[in-house]
Amino acid sequence: MKIGMMSFAHLHAEFYIPYLIHRPDVEFLGIADDNLGRGKLFADRYGVRLFDSYDALLKESPDGVVVCSENNRHRALVEMAASAGANVLSEKPLAVDMEDCRAMLDVCEKNDVRLMTAFPMRYDASLNEVKKMLDQDGLGKILAMVGENQGQVPSHHRNWFVDKQLAGGGAVLDHTVHLADIYRWYLGSEVTEVYAQANQIIQAETVDVETGGLLMLQFENGTMASIDCSWSRPVRYNTWGGLRIEIVGEKGVVDVDAFKANLDVHGGCAQPMRLHPCGSDSNGAMVEDFLKSIREDRDPKVSGFDGMKAFEIADAAYRSILEGQPVRI
Amino acid sequence: MKKIGIVGTGVMGETHAASWLETDAKLSHCSSGHFENAKQFAEKYSIEACESLDALIAAVDVVDICTPTHLHKDMVLKAAAAGKDIVCEKPLGLTVDECVTMIRACEDAGVKLFVAHVTRYFPEYVAAKANVAAGEVGKVAVTRFRRESFQPHNASDNWYVDLERSGGMLQDLMIHDFDLARWMAGDVIKVYAKSLVTSGEEVNFDHAMVILTHKNGAISHITGSWAQPKPRFRTSFEIAGDAGIIEWDSQEKAPLQVLMHQTEGGSGEVGLPGSPLLESPYTSQLKEFLANLESDATVRVDAVDALAAVQIARAAIESALTGKAVDVMAVEEVLK
Repeated sequence: MKIGMMSFAHLHAEFYIPYLIHRPDVEFLGIADDNLGRGKLFADRYGVRLFDSYDALLKESPDGVVVCSENNRHRALVEMAASAGANVLSEKPLAVDMEDCRAMLDVCEKNDVRLMTAFPMRYDASLNEVKKMLDQDGLGKILAMVGENQGQVPSHHRNWFVDKQLAGGGAVLDHTVHLADIYRWYLGSEVTEVYAQANQIIQAETVDVETGGLLMLQFENGTMASIDCSWSRPVRYNTWGGLRIEIVGEKGVVDVDAFKANLDVHGGCAQPMRLHPCGSDSNGAMVEDFLKSIREDRDPKVSGFDGMKAFEIADAAYRSILEGQPVRI
Repeated sequence: MKKIGIVGTGVMGETHAASWLETDAKLSHCSSGHFENAKQFAEKYSIEACESLDALIAAVDVVDICTPTHLHKDMVLKAAAAGKDIVCEKPLGLTVDECVTMIRACEDAGVKLFVAHVTRYFPEYVAAKANVAAGEVGKVAVTRFRRESFQPHNASDNWYVDLERSGGMLQDLMIHDFDLARWMAGDVIKVYAKSLVTSGEEVNFDHAMVILTHKNGAISHITGSWAQPKPRFRTSFEIAGDAGIIEWDSQEKAPLQVLMHQTEGGSGEVGLPGSPLLESPYTSQLKEFLANLESDATVRVDAVDALAAVQIARAAIESALTGKAVDVMAVEEVLK
């Protein structure tokens, strides 16, 4: 199976590549990046081939590609890849507007390739344990979900994250989609109404997107849910952030904290204390599902449609912020 | 020595009585809607039971009102008319109008009105406020407050869950965190809320989430719950600003854990926080009120704060019922 990577703009590319190289069942073709300097940096770091254009990579007829570009360039790269017959794993958010999302789904369907959205939390061990419990009706009807997916302002990783045009938005787009996707997955129901408030008090002077955001969602089946998508973790926080959900059901309550499995490390580095993850790695499981979906010619666990529906919720949140009232989807 | 009379001999009456005994004031009288209850209470604390509220008011210097919320207004007005200083349990009143009436009556009568927003005396919030005031988190941007318990039950009369008498969970329980969010992040201008009991779900407990927008641009997420299995009573908060963050969670920070084999009975009527402290926050609160009565010392929470908290709670109830975000009028305007 031949796999390539298109763009290293998103830092998650660095999380995914270790699962693609140095394995007998994957012929890793290499990296293409419109930013050649960036492409060279990572090609050198991982000892893989650098193509001088996306076309050059796609001429090698990859079975699958991983797209980790800036958010507003996902569509163009997915269109190129699909037209070349490659299945695509696209970084989240799927795109920066609904039109792009639909175009991406269409082009993949037309070319008979699969589009997968990179929602690694779908592969998290604790979140899957909860899913199993819910599917066995362990909580009864799910009445409410209180979710948090805060993080640091990501500009210290890559500056485009806080560029409104390249990223499509700030915290509301970046961090709403993970929980929105988990909620849809848990409930098997769609959001009908969204209320949101946002602000830019954190890093008010240094970025041009919102850094704080709170959402309230109404699901068609009656469940209410909230999301804290704020980039509210300070630069010197002990970890990047986290993802937690409290699920209130008829029969009881579940608290899940996906990144709680940590060591407390009091080391010699600048931070007073750092959390070192020691739970299962969901990125590896997600990449594995992408590869298997190609090998076994089956749908991956997360689709492009899932990416579009999660985007739609963030998109509605921006409308609500403008209107100051809940908006319908 | 100030003579104190407790009106209402339920859970909060008991709590206040125990705390008054730790102060320099003299707990002297009590009354109840049911005289039998007052007599039992009086015997327990070696005080005098009054057959009527009027008799109690006549006999004491300070009237401490620990009755269900819908009874507060008339009792406060009576005590004020008699020129007695007042301690009143939270929420101050059932509606904004009731609170305004009470505040004006006390002003006109020249008596003091203290409202027992006791969470401002819990050490974790005191410490958080000190850090926020010292600029540790910078300008406050996003806060979260959580208060979760099992459904309160009162065998004789479960007024806690009665919207008409307590405002339900959105008012009775969540008023604490509305007040704390306002204390930490400033005045609130807009409220959006969702709750189970107003959602049409057929449930016999409530759970609610509320988004507050503060005047200075900060936003807050408040969770209130009576949907938890016993014996959980959990509170948590975080205050994130442009320079840092403060986090606290009772589950993570409990200095004491006691695990017992299950017996009949189990948890009490209402979930109450239980961190071992040398002085109960209820006592700290009453001592501060007393010091103000005696020497005009500063009190950290006044009746206008209590009114502002009721405003937020009523806006949350309205929002949960209508499905719309509700604007909150500046408290100064309400009092004009």
